Amino acid sequence: MTKLLVLILIAELWGNAGQIFYKKTVNKIGSPNLRSLHSYTRFVKKVVAAPMIWFGLGFITISLVIWLVALALADLSLVFPIDSMQYIITLITAHIFLNEKINKMKLIGTLLIVGGIIFVAMS
Amino acid sequence: MKKRHVTLNLFILIVLTDIGESIAQLFMKTGLNHIGISSVTFSNLQEFAIKSATSYFIWLGILVYIVNFFIWITILSKIDLSVAFPVGSTSYIFVPILAMIFLHESIGPMRWVGIILIVAGIHFVSKSTHIEEGGKAK
Repeated sequence: MTKLLVLILIAELWGNAGQIFYKKTVNKIGSPNLRSLHSYTRFVKKVVAAPMIWFGLGFITISLVIWLVALALADLSLVFPIDSMQYIITLITAHIFLNEKINKMKLIGTLLIVGGIIFVAMS
Repeated sequence: MKKRHVTLNLFILIVLTDIGESIAQLFMKTGLNHIGISSVTFSNLQEFAIKSATSYFIWLGILVYIVNFFIWITILSKIDLSVAFPVGSTSYIFVPILAMIFLHESIGPMRWVGIILIVAGIHFVSKSTHIEEGGKAK
């Protein structure tokens, strides 16, 4: 059980690192104008050419592989409640690495989602 | 850094990536079932790789994943990760409800409570960007 918990946590941290890399990349590139095909193609080109995106993709792939191992080891009723921790991890790491603000509403909302997932998974 | 709200269009895109994720997994699972190898070991790794690479379903799954990736990156370019990510938990709402409608699975009281909590959570997280803008100056 503890082993599983650690395994899922590791998978989440890798996945989270990937998301941070994604977000850092698009923060640098800027957002496309979705009404302009030209703007969007330019955006896609910049994304594909950004090394950090590929780092992120690598991290997320590793996370998926660890996930598959965890799924093989345990039943899903345990995995999903633990997995809901990723929302809290994201809140914290996005604050530290991306300077995203944590306000009361965001905190309450995130905790409600985590609680909700635990209920859904337990039922 | 710009702070943008979760507009209806962005919300639809986020739901779309959730649906895409489920569809991709469905394709992958169907593909793997067609291949008919129940467990992968070092001895049949090559056979597994070749059969996977020739399965239409596996390629369809990969294609949906790629499209999903670009939709997600587009979403991230518009809003904070700590907003987009929790709002992306809509699959926990739609999967049970779709399973109820199409597969006639029943949803117990505990699950309804969970679904309501998630809906409320998504609402709060989406609204949290408004506070930032309306409140203190950055």
